[in-house]
Amino acid sequence: MALDHDILVWFSKSFGLFYLLALSLIVLVYAYWPANRKPFERAANAILHDDDDKPYRG
Amino acid sequence: MIAELTTNERQTALVILLALAVTGLAMAIAGQGDPFGVHGALVMVVAIAGVFTVISGYYAPEPSDSRLDSYYDTPTKFGIVVAMIWAVIAMFVGDWVAWLLAYPNLTFDAAWSSFGRLRPVHTSGVIFGFGGNALIATSFYVMQRTSRARLPDQLSPWFVLLGYNLFCIVAATGYLMGVTQSKEYAEPEWYADIWLVIVWVAYFVLYLRTLARRKEPHIYVANWYYLAFILVVAMLHIVNNLAVPISWGSAKSYSLFSGVQDAMTEWWYGHNAVAFFLTSGFLGMLYYYMPKRAGRPIYSYRMSIISFWGITFFYMWAGSHHLHYTALPQWVQSLGMTFSVMLLIPSWVSAGNALMTLNGAWNKVRDDAVLRFMMVAAVFYGLTTFEGSFMAIRPVNSLSHYTDWTVGHVHAGALGWVAMITFGAIYASVPWLWKRETMYSPRLVEVHFWLALAGTVIYVFAMWNSGIIQGLMWRTYNESGTLAYSFVDSLVAMHPYYIARAVGGVFFLLGTAIGLYNIWMTIRTAPRAASELAADRPVLAGAPALQAGE
Amino acid sequence: MFGFHYRLERKAIGLVLAIIGVASIGGIVEIAPLFTIHQTVEDAPDMRVYTPLELAGRNIYIREGCYACHSQMIRTLRDEVERYGPYSLAVESKYDHPMLWGSKRTGPDLARIGNKYSDEWQVEHLNNPRDVVPESVMPAYTWLLRTKLRTDDLSNHLRAQRTVGVPYTDDMIANAAADAYGQAAPDSPQADGVVTRYGKATTVRPFDGRPDELTEMDALVAYLQILGRLTDAAHKPIASAEK
Repeated sequence: MALDHDILVWFSKSFGLFYLLALSLIVLVYAYWPANRKPFERAANAILHDDDDKPYRG
Repeated sequence: MIAELTTNERQTALVILLALAVTGLAMAIAGQGDPFGVHGALVMVVAIAGVFTVISGYYAPEPSDSRLDSYYDTPTKFGIVVAMIWAVIAMFVGDWVAWLLAYPNLTFDAAWSSFGRLRPVHTSGVIFGFGGNALIATSFYVMQRTSRARLPDQLSPWFVLLGYNLFCIVAATGYLMGVTQSKEYAEPEWYADIWLVIVWVAYFVLYLRTLARRKEPHIYVANWYYLAFILVVAMLHIVNNLAVPISWGSAKSYSLFSGVQDAMTEWWYGHNAVAFFLTSGFLGMLYYYMPKRAGRPIYSYRMSIISFWGITFFYMWAGSHHLHYTALPQWVQSLGMTFSVMLLIPSWVSAGNALMTLNGAWNKVRDDAVLRFMMVAAVFYGLTTFEGSFMAIRPVNSLSHYTDWTVGHVHAGALGWVAMITFGAIYASVPWLWKRETMYSPRLVEVHFWLALAGTVIYVFAMWNSGIIQGLMWRTYNESGTLAYSFVDSLVAMHPYYIARAVGGVFFLLGTAIGLYNIWMTIRTAPRAASELAADRPVLAGAPALQAGE
Repeated sequence: MFGFHYRLERKAIGLVLAIIGVASIGGIVEIAPLFTIHQTVEDAPDMRVYTPLELAGRNIYIREGCYACHSQMIRTLRDEVERYGPYSLAVESKYDHPMLWGSKRTGPDLARIGNKYSDEWQVEHLNNPRDVVPESVMPAYTWLLRTKLRTDDLSNHLRAQRTVGVPYTDDMIANAAADAYGQAAPDSPQADGVVTRYGKATTVRPFDGRPDELTEMDALVAYLQILGRLTDAAHKPIASAEK
């Protein structure tokens, strides 16, 4: 049997909620993960301190 | 420009341009007697002009290796100027059609000059011509700085920028000839769409290649927003524009989708064009230029990440709020409404984050019109996203839909948010790019700011009034239980507001024209001397005065 | 060096994939079920396809950007039904590639404009709206009456329409240009073919008042006069499509 319309609609209606919850959790965990704190702070400040305005050549 | 390309790149450019010329020729032959042929000829002429440009500079000496010591900013400079030119043209057309709604005879007895053909020139010109060029130009600037890496080559940024503008020109001239798919904000026909896909893939690859050369392992958040803009716009563009051309020699095509599926696909596209073209990309702009100009880091880097995923996720569901009470199944409408309301959270987190970044630097906002542009942009972003969520609520939408309220809402976003943040970013980067002390005239920046703000406020208030009056008149019943007003009654009531709106447009257009003049004069004034430049640098005291420019 | 780059690349690619994943699902979930919608929404067996002349008129409607100011979607609201007629059903636009539901009413809704006004009124109105409605702000489409309709590529149009799912027959495709001419010239030999192929109810009239010449005005008026009349599903007592 091909995909039934009602099943598809049911899936669409319910799926979003679970997806939303899971995704928010992942994003929050990532944003507040202690090890990420430093790189975030570094990144936020780094753009302010490139006074020589030159690419890095290593 | 050609002198900056390596010999290898000059050869590649020639090959690309010759291939483009041949394609144009083939189109011109296949499409005789059809706008398709006209566009073929146009492409061919542009490509041949390109060939001559490359040949004329072909034997110039190769750029030296020292170029790798600086960022490659010529494409950004070009993109900024072109964006401002598009802005003036497209806003002029916009104001013209605004006057047409008040005085419909202000036109020529020619097909190209009728409202229906000019309107997409305005919308595409502003969104793609002005907005798109500004996004591409600033993204080149931002991705190099935040990655501390030079663009990987000199040719691909030019391919992206020039190719993109070719798309814009084909689109705009097409509308005047009556070439349109009728899908709002996706009007260009199939061949222009295919070309845009090619350009867009090159843009994406260029972005990834630059990121791959970055010094920092962490990718700065502005790049996330720019990346989402590039990726999702590609996705939306490809799906929404799936169509079957009637022949290989005709501009006309028929959409693969019909009726309710087409409506849902179109507004999934349409609303996410707002999200990923007009929001995500410009948030990327905001997250670089605002901290930079204010001299303060983003208030909360975490919040910028959380709202990034919120925006990327929520927006995708919201498109169906454009179809409330229509033949679209109601469960899709409800989903759209729910997610549209939730969308307010990441939107306000972004707006709040921007304003909190300025907290403590209000004296700078007061004195610096450039920073004020950015601040007002963040305020309008907050207002517009609130209004958007509100209008997505079904009963509210029953009043607002089909009326000028929607037009007012869109312009609160487009003028108040998109254009203001762009002007702010452009005014900030022009002196940096051309190594000038300040803009040619800071006073004119101030004038531009107030004209833009006044224009936006007049426009938006006029449309709020007309939209709500219109919506109420359509649904008002008299005592005997019949509709109180004819459609024409409501139209007559709009007249004063249409004039007010067009006047607001004049203000805004005037500001933009002044901006273009100011930028042009800044470019023409003499650059600062190298020693001055070094002396201006805060931390490098005692360091030898190095030339930072190209 | 290579390892460092690889790590950077992996991070960038990961970000790209995450964006695609997060962004695509909302659309898929909302759009995919619509392609199975025919299982629940009533069909309209009496619905006919656009004649070549009407399709050409529809393309002029698109070309001139009429959709920017006129909707073709009557919402399920009392005042709209009273002003414009029965609310629009999904099935009514099933042959519309693309749909023209519109998003703005600077002018009134046109979903059921067919047969509401005479051909003469439509011609006069399109030629200069202010001749019949003094307050109108609609552009004057003066060039429609003086421009001959292009018919040589109509077969291609119908063939492309069939490719995207509209049931045009080989016969219809082969005779597209003749049918376009015949529909606006009732006394011509081509007129009979239109009725044979598209049904007795098809309107065969000199829409712009000049049967000898086929103009863009003929096509656009023919299209406007069929709007809302391809099927009468919406006029049946219980319209069951609203779900």
